[in-house]
Amino acid sequence: MNWSFVIANAITLACIYGTLAIGISITWSSLGLINMAYGFIFALSGYGAWLAAQYISANGFVVMGAGILTGAVGGMLVCALAFIPIHDKPNFTVRGMIATLAVSLVGNQALLWYFGPRAKSLPPLFGSSQTSIFGVVMTADKIGAVVSSVVLLSAVLLWMRSSRRGLEIRAMMMNPHAAAIVGIGVRRTGFYVMALTGGLAGLASVLLSQTYYVGPFSGITPMVKGLSVALCGGLGSVFGAVIAAALLGINEAMTSVVFGGQYVLITQFALIILILLIRPRGIAGILDKAREA
Amino acid sequence: MTTTWKNPISAFDPEKPVEEVVTNDYLSPQSQWDATRSYNVPTPPVGRLRYYHKWAGHGDKLWHRLRYWPTRRRVLDISGGYNSKTLRRQKTIEDKRPIWWILSLLALAIAPFFIPENQQNALLTAGAVFGIYAAINLCWMLIIGTAGIYSLATYAVVGAAAYGSAYMSIHMGLPWWAMPLVGSVVGLVFGIIIAIPATRLEGFYYALLTLGLVELCRVYVIQSREFGSATGGLYGADSYIPQDWPQHAQLLLGYYAGLVLMILGLFLFRFVNGKRLGRVLRMAPEKREAFAEATGVNYRAARIQVFLISSLALGFIGGFYSAHFRGAAPSLFSFDTMLLSLAMLVIGGLGRAEGAVLGTLIVVFIDRVLVDWGPMRFVLIGTLMLLVVLFLRGGLFGIKEQFRAWRDKKKSENRSSRAEKGGEMLPEEATETENKDIIYFRRFDKMQRDFLKKLITPEIIEEHRKRPLGQHSEALERVLTYFRRQPQNDKYAITVIEPFKSYRLVALSGTRGVAPRLVEDKTYGSPDEAYHALFLRRVQDLLEA
Repeated sequence: MNWSFVIANAITLACIYGTLAIGISITWSSLGLINMAYGFIFALSGYGAWLAAQYISANGFVVMGAGILTGAVGGMLVCALAFIPIHDKPNFTVRGMIATLAVSLVGNQALLWYFGPRAKSLPPLFGSSQTSIFGVVMTADKIGAVVSSVVLLSAVLLWMRSSRRGLEIRAMMMNPHAAAIVGIGVRRTGFYVMALTGGLAGLASVLLSQTYYVGPFSGITPMVKGLSVALCGGLGSVFGAVIAAALLGINEAMTSVVFGGQYVLITQFALIILILLIRPRGIAGILDKAREA
Repeated sequence: MTTTWKNPISAFDPEKPVEEVVTNDYLSPQSQWDATRSYNVPTPPVGRLRYYHKWAGHGDKLWHRLRYWPTRRRVLDISGGYNSKTLRRQKTIEDKRPIWWILSLLALAIAPFFIPENQQNALLTAGAVFGIYAAINLCWMLIIGTAGIYSLATYAVVGAAAYGSAYMSIHMGLPWWAMPLVGSVVGLVFGIIIAIPATRLEGFYYALLTLGLVELCRVYVIQSREFGSATGGLYGADSYIPQDWPQHAQLLLGYYAGLVLMILGLFLFRFVNGKRLGRVLRMAPEKREAFAEATGVNYRAARIQVFLISSLALGFIGGFYSAHFRGAAPSLFSFDTMLLSLAMLVIGGLGRAEGAVLGTLIVVFIDRVLVDWGPMRFVLIGTLMLLVVLFLRGGLFGIKEQFRAWRDKKKSENRSSRAEKGGEMLPEEATETENKDIIYFRRFDKMQRDFLKKLITPEIIEEHRKRPLGQHSEALERVLTYFRRQPQNDKYAITVIEPFKSYRLVALSGTRGVAPRLVEDKTYGSPDEAYHALFLRRVQDLLEA
């Protein structure tokens, strides 16, 4: 068994899933919205990056920037459609989830209608060189994925810790009603949060498209995985999401080496069910402090 | 507008000409009374009151009415009573839903004979699909609506049962009538497995987990060679539709079988939701579980029970599905199937059987009949779903309720904006006032002032200027009588500075021993001028009040 390969894969997957899961987690805890349109944002930003690569430049930064920007725009679109009109209406949690599902249905089919069912592939962003770090052979796209996701995630988390807007978002995560009372605009913050998490989805989309393709439905599996990582880590906890992403990344890499690729999902869900049976609110979730939607 | 008034007293002095004055037309004081007392709330013409048709006939011996087994329910909820005005006997149908149900089911039953020849294939196929999906959605509605478990794994259960029974039929020669039974067993086992996390997880955690489970099933089925990864599904199972029948007869049989399945689903919904389990669970809605538990309602057991019953039924439907389509396809597990099905539930309205059926009808029609539209039909479904979620609280069947709530809100807004009805005294003041006569007097006074304001015209002011004292026209006389009747405090009066030369206006204090105060610096040369100045002052006060 090639341990270095397992570790490299585990780290890469953990980074990408962590990016997705943190986006879902932040959305839920600050807005109380389960963003089921995350897969749509993911696919949309993949197409954005592909269009940029076709018509502007195949430079890695341009493609990644285009993906992140499209993701942010998609997030704001979802916010305007599914959060702004009903966030103060009764039964918002269920209705919000159904609204995002509807947005996802419409969006995915519109993508299928506009771009056709054929998958597109993005140009390699980080070249195709190989380096060896501590005896572990890492290809350039893996290093690039790890570095860019870690850098951007840390940037986002630092921004959330230090800036005024980040403070607003964190206040919303702690207690949305109190945040509204002290003058933090719920709708405005909603747009920040959705743009931010949409940008994270765009980043994950560009990074994952190095291995997979861009298609109208390519976002659903990553969304399900991101959701399960967020769930496993405890909705609303960034730290928990990181731990869960690491755990599930290791599990996925290990399973595909030990049993084979088709058992990945089975072991993953067995692991998630096990974790949730032991800790019903996820690894870092505390039962009492959960968000009252 | 104006008329001439002849002074009737002129007759006493026939040597002078008859005095004639231009004055107002007669205005009846009744007009003000009518205007104040009229009902001036805007009343929309449609549906201001709930209308129940009253049937003739006596309403006694209500206990002899037809009841259906095994419940003690009556077919129609009819209440008897007396008309409160005519005291005639009458009957009211309180709940007309059974009538609508029977009519729509009859329409579905005879629909195949009215389909145009060229669309028969498409519509009959769509009708069979509608029956199956409606049955699935009814069971799902039991899970989401009645039990309140946000499970998205419905199609995992259906698919597992379909695959299981198809597999057994292909490899072990299971006959078609046994496939739903085998499917039920598979569904129950699957339901038990899925129900285990439901005992610990709440709401969305469970929804997301089940979403993952469906994805797991899909990936497994796509990759597994036994379940037809190569052929894109598992086909070749036994079917209840005989192969040697003509195609039209096959389609008709499929359609009616789907319809029967849907009716079975409706009975299941009714017997779970409308009886003990449903009652128990209605005690424990979301966020009030703690209260229900404190009152001794074991809602967890009830939820799991409903979940398992539904899983059994879903397994049955899964077996029927594979017997209908001669196999199963991985599209059963796809995210889109789940989404479309959720759209059906949401469009119709969560928690009601009619919502599940109508939503299924709409979505299946768009999905299966408007095939030429391509991906745009899903966009249409999604838009419909989004609009329903954004604007309606309970789907299409909740519109009536929502409209009534909105109308009641508007009504009460109107009612509260009609504060002038109480007259001069505010409601709080009125309850504090000892002498209730004051309330009525003020109300009358306001009405009278409103009337007198209409009488003030340049004509009567001119009339008064000419002759302040003596007999006046009817309008001016009414105004002056009102002025003279006012209470003493702040009543205007004339004081004589120098007789026949200088007069001034004062206002009385209303208290004995306190001198009146001067109201203006002007002095008037004659009493008539002073009288008229005083009159103008009063008119001004009246118009400003």
